[in-house]
Amino acid sequence: MLSTDLGLDTLPKLLIHNAAALGDRPAMRHKDLGIWQAWTWAQMLEEVRAFSVGLAEIGLKRGDKFTIVGSNRPRLYWAMCAGQALGAVPVPVYADAVADEMAFVLAHAEVTLAVVEDQEQVDKIIAVADRLPYLAQVVYDEPRGLKDYDHSRMIAFEDVRSIGRKKLASDPECLRQWEAGVAAGKGSDLSVILYTSGTTGRSKGVMLTYENTIISARNANAFDRLDQNEEVIAYLPLAWVGDYIFSYVQAYVAGYCVNCPETAETVVQDRREIGTTYAFAPPRVYENVLTLTTVRMADASAFKRKVFDFFIAFAGRWGEKILDGEKVPLTVRLLYGIGNLFVYGPLMNQFGLSRIRVAYTAGEAIGPEIFRFWRGIGLNLKQLYGQTEASVYITAQPDGNIRADAVGNASPDVEIKISDSGEVMFRSPGVFAGYYKDPEKTAEVLTPDGWVHTGDAGFFDPKSGQLRIIDRAKDVGHLKDGTVFAPKYIENKLKFYPNIREAVALGAGRDFVCAMINIDLTAVGSWAERNNVVYASYQELAANPRVYDMIARHIDEVNRSLADEEVMAGAQIHRFLILHKELDADDGELTRTQKLRRGHIIDRYSPLVEAFYNGLTEAQIATEVTFEDGHKGVIAARVAIRDMKPYPARAAKMERAA
Amino acid sequence: MRAPSSREAALGEVLLAVENVSLSFGGVNALTGVSFDIRKGEIRAIIGPNGAGKTSMLNVVNGFYQPQSGRIRFKGQVRTSMRPHAAAEGGIARTFQNLALFRGMTTLDNILAGRALKMHRGFFWQLIRYGPALKEEVEHRRRVEEIIDFLEIAAIRKIPVGRLPYGLQKRVELGRALAMEPDLLLLDEPMAGMNLEEKEDMSRFIIDVNQQYGTTIALIEHDMGVVMDLSDRVVVLDYGRKIADATPDEVKRDKNVIRAYLGEPHGTSV
Amino acid sequence: MDILYKVFIDPFVQMGTAPDLLVQTLWDGLVAGVLYALIALGFVLIFKASGVFNFAQGIMVVFAALTLVGLHEHGVPAFVALGLTVVVMFVLALGVERLMLRPLINQSDIILFMATFGLTYFLIGLGQLVFGGNPKVMITSELYLPSGAIEFKGLGGFVSLQKIDIAAVIIASIMVAVLAVFFQRTRIGRALRAVADSHQAALSVGISLEQIWVIVWFAAGVVALATGIMWGARSEVSFSLQIIALKALPVLILGGLTSIPGAIVGGLIIGIGEKLGEFYWGPLLGGGIESWLAYVIALGFLVFRPQGLFGEKIIERI
Repeated sequence: MLSTDLGLDTLPKLLIHNAAALGDRPAMRHKDLGIWQAWTWAQMLEEVRAFSVGLAEIGLKRGDKFTIVGSNRPRLYWAMCAGQALGAVPVPVYADAVADEMAFVLAHAEVTLAVVEDQEQVDKIIAVADRLPYLAQVVYDEPRGLKDYDHSRMIAFEDVRSIGRKKLASDPECLRQWEAGVAAGKGSDLSVILYTSGTTGRSKGVMLTYENTIISARNANAFDRLDQNEEVIAYLPLAWVGDYIFSYVQAYVAGYCVNCPETAETVVQDRREIGTTYAFAPPRVYENVLTLTTVRMADASAFKRKVFDFFIAFAGRWGEKILDGEKVPLTVRLLYGIGNLFVYGPLMNQFGLSRIRVAYTAGEAIGPEIFRFWRGIGLNLKQLYGQTEASVYITAQPDGNIRADAVGNASPDVEIKISDSGEVMFRSPGVFAGYYKDPEKTAEVLTPDGWVHTGDAGFFDPKSGQLRIIDRAKDVGHLKDGTVFAPKYIENKLKFYPNIREAVALGAGRDFVCAMINIDLTAVGSWAERNNVVYASYQELAANPRVYDMIARHIDEVNRSLADEEVMAGAQIHRFLILHKELDADDGELTRTQKLRRGHIIDRYSPLVEAFYNGLTEAQIATEVTFEDGHKGVIAARVAIRDMKPYPARAAKMERAA
Repeated sequence: MRAPSSREAALGEVLLAVENVSLSFGGVNALTGVSFDIRKGEIRAIIGPNGAGKTSMLNVVNGFYQPQSGRIRFKGQVRTSMRPHAAAEGGIARTFQNLALFRGMTTLDNILAGRALKMHRGFFWQLIRYGPALKEEVEHRRRVEEIIDFLEIAAIRKIPVGRLPYGLQKRVELGRALAMEPDLLLLDEPMAGMNLEEKEDMSRFIIDVNQQYGTTIALIEHDMGVVMDLSDRVVVLDYGRKIADATPDEVKRDKNVIRAYLGEPHGTSV
Repeated sequence: MDILYKVFIDPFVQMGTAPDLLVQTLWDGLVAGVLYALIALGFVLIFKASGVFNFAQGIMVVFAALTLVGLHEHGVPAFVALGLTVVVMFVLALGVERLMLRPLINQSDIILFMATFGLTYFLIGLGQLVFGGNPKVMITSELYLPSGAIEFKGLGGFVSLQKIDIAAVIIASIMVAVLAVFFQRTRIGRALRAVADSHQAALSVGISLEQIWVIVWFAAGVVALATGIMWGARSEVSFSLQIIALKALPVLILGGLTSIPGAIVGGLIIGIGEKLGEFYWGPLLGGGIESWLAYVIALGFLVFRPQGLFGEKIIERI
């Protein structure tokens, strides 16, 4: 843990400090052309400084906004700090955003300069250039394909850096000016604007000061004892607050090394090569890895499968206890050791997780089986709960008190209260400064005394003392007969099954609950192969009656578990269908962080919703889809609807019986 | 698509000239009196209905077949009977319709094999792995990695090629041909068996190769859309004869070409 | 019951009670194994690079040995004769490539196999013509190969190691090591692997098939020469030596036809297995195990693991 010195209240100041204090330690690595290239803190300072001076020369000034668009590349991270050193504010945008989304953010934030990765991003900007009156320059990193483009407002990263280096070498005043500029920055300055991919309506620009992020980062590092020896791999979107905090702010505060992978497909290999010590991934990633493993084991010989099943079950039973440091019998420890040698160790190694000390997950509920699996084989998986508006941290689970169904206790310096309407509210040094150019929305969310409405409904579990999140507050509704209907609660139970990738529960104001399901192509595809089910496309597989049978069985189990809960018994699923296409962020059905856009989905699929509640057994639907490059097409299908038999409310019955 | 005038200016002198080439196998005339040229820096498409002799044409250029009559002039020199490995040494690289990869080797080794001709240091130096041989090896490896990066196949670097899906195998074969740093790249149906997205990727690669490395490309292709988009000029073969030789637009409207594809029975007079 | 004892217990008891005999048997097996491996190596080299199963490998061993001894008989000093024999093998390789491989380049494997039959009889005829049909003695002392034996007492008895055998093992090991490095590390080695994988691909990458074939047949010729010297030193140089080549077949099946380490491992397994089998289990079956044990083992492999221990499993994506 590095800086408790309060004088280091901005990120550029931290960089200068690290270059002096940690000079030769690796700050960043990138796998390029097959080998890992590394930069020390001292080298990184030189790169950032040169680029920064170059940016100033081409017109970036204090108070300007500039955007960063691309995948996790060192130069893009450097660009963020380089701009911040001049007092400019980065506004990163998701690399897979379509031109339309990008145009909105860039115009709204009045961005004057863009630093982008490659031709793909440049093309998007050019496509919407007429909507961006403020944009003066585009800096690109990867020159491939851009040779013949009009360079009147475009310039290569390397050229900007050369300009900076030349200026620094020739003008002695330059360095002093630059350092003075950095020193002029304060903790209360605006450091970044992160646009949240709104689940409803347009994105909002969350403004975070240096203090917001640095104090949160400092507390987080202390909480998990992260220091300069950590190794982290940066693979989550640059524009997401989580990556900004984990791969940038926390790294600068603690002095640890951030590794950038070669491509999105090689992340697992790269992680394995580095041996990262700290990880974050949304639950989906842990699920996918488990699904992959299960699928592969299904193809293994019977002997291997038996060994695997035995040891995994064993880990499920005893693993967590061992991880938490509880006392277990010696024989158990020995057997676990053998399991570690043959099953758990190799498994963790396969996915590059052998050296992980702390692995967090957040953003969605995680299935208890998945949680138990990972913790059982020795991965210290914990949950945290946060928002962009909080500079990430609201709650986190401390070592030793980990549960699947809760998200933890309040993080250091964070206060939490539950409003009368059941909404979770928090206050902390990480609370954002407001939504950019949107005082109305800011007032809706931020109270005058600094409390933030999270928009989530939750409560503190009396048994564990930890916070439990039920659903988005405005999504918690009621059926016609007054039964509480928390769609996310139901959807999460459904998504715990590997075969179900996504689920949408409907029922607010209706007589009963219905569900639209997306099957997981990997898991169901593998099942299809083993059971001789032939299919030529996702649509065909999704329409297969045997797949319906399989999903019906899952829904039946969910219904049974709902029946056991007093409050939820009335919200069992009465009808379901399997969607003909996967829900997609490109079609606006999911946010860029893969959360459901409920209202939008209900609109798009209204023929199906109608069919549900009109008792039809099948429905015709034609949906317009957007391909990655922006052009549109239509997919049509006839979707079957199945009925389920709900269980009688058991809890209630038992009470009466008692 | 492609700005005609500036592109025309960019094309160089004739790189390959096929002069009156005729080829037959045991009585079957695969090619009869075919003549056309390929200019430096251009992308030339060779099209025609099935059996028109397109692959035979490439095989002649490549040295797999020796024509019974006619000549090939490459880089200004007339080539006498030439074996494939001599063609490779001369700067001609080739991909195949049915793939000719080293199935037991990894992607990396396959592409490295393309550097075979460029490796100069002798046996003894290589044994010691010292000095010039080491430097050369590093240089070769770097070139290969650049190609891997260019074709976006980093993730499959170490996987034996026999296990890859078809589309990726085609990409690896292209990579190996690129590793030879050829003057002329012959592509035999590079898009065969690909879906839309894969075709778009492959098209992008072909254009990039042409623009970035300046490689002259001759490709056989059935997908008309691809041909129109990519090529500067088109040669149309039918039953072993050349029936058209012009820009894509002109060829599209040529009566003979339309007839060859849509078919009036041959042999009947018009 | 008695039979079970005789088969499963007694031999091991014997091994334990007379360790010196065990060591002797193991040593003899090792030597035989190494020499089998050398022959198999010649087959592997040619098969790997040109896809041809060289039926003539055995006769090449004889031919090489004959040439060496024959030249010496005509008054050529030993090492000069050795050098000349190497040249002869090179000329042979050139001839084979130009006159046999090139004309048959696109023919099927069986035709090439038949061509090696032809080569065999040609070499037999040529050898007899030039050097006569009588058995000859290998010029071991002229080549400075040691004779006599090292004996030592110990292990409760007495073990005798022939010096020529020791030399054979050493020379063979060096040869194998050099070949292994050659295949893995050098440009030519890589080209060889490429040619073995796909002729068409190798051609289009600029590898000259003809050059590679000459190199490989030459290497096989040198291996044949070494084998000829070793085997010839232990018995005599005659046309019956080519029978040894047949012993290479089980070795190849065991080790895989395309693997150099396979040839070595296979050779050792067969060699040691044969000798152990003959000595300890032989009496049960009235002796003579040595002549068929190798083939029975090979048969087993054909059923359960046809590619051998090290051969390439064909990886195909369906």
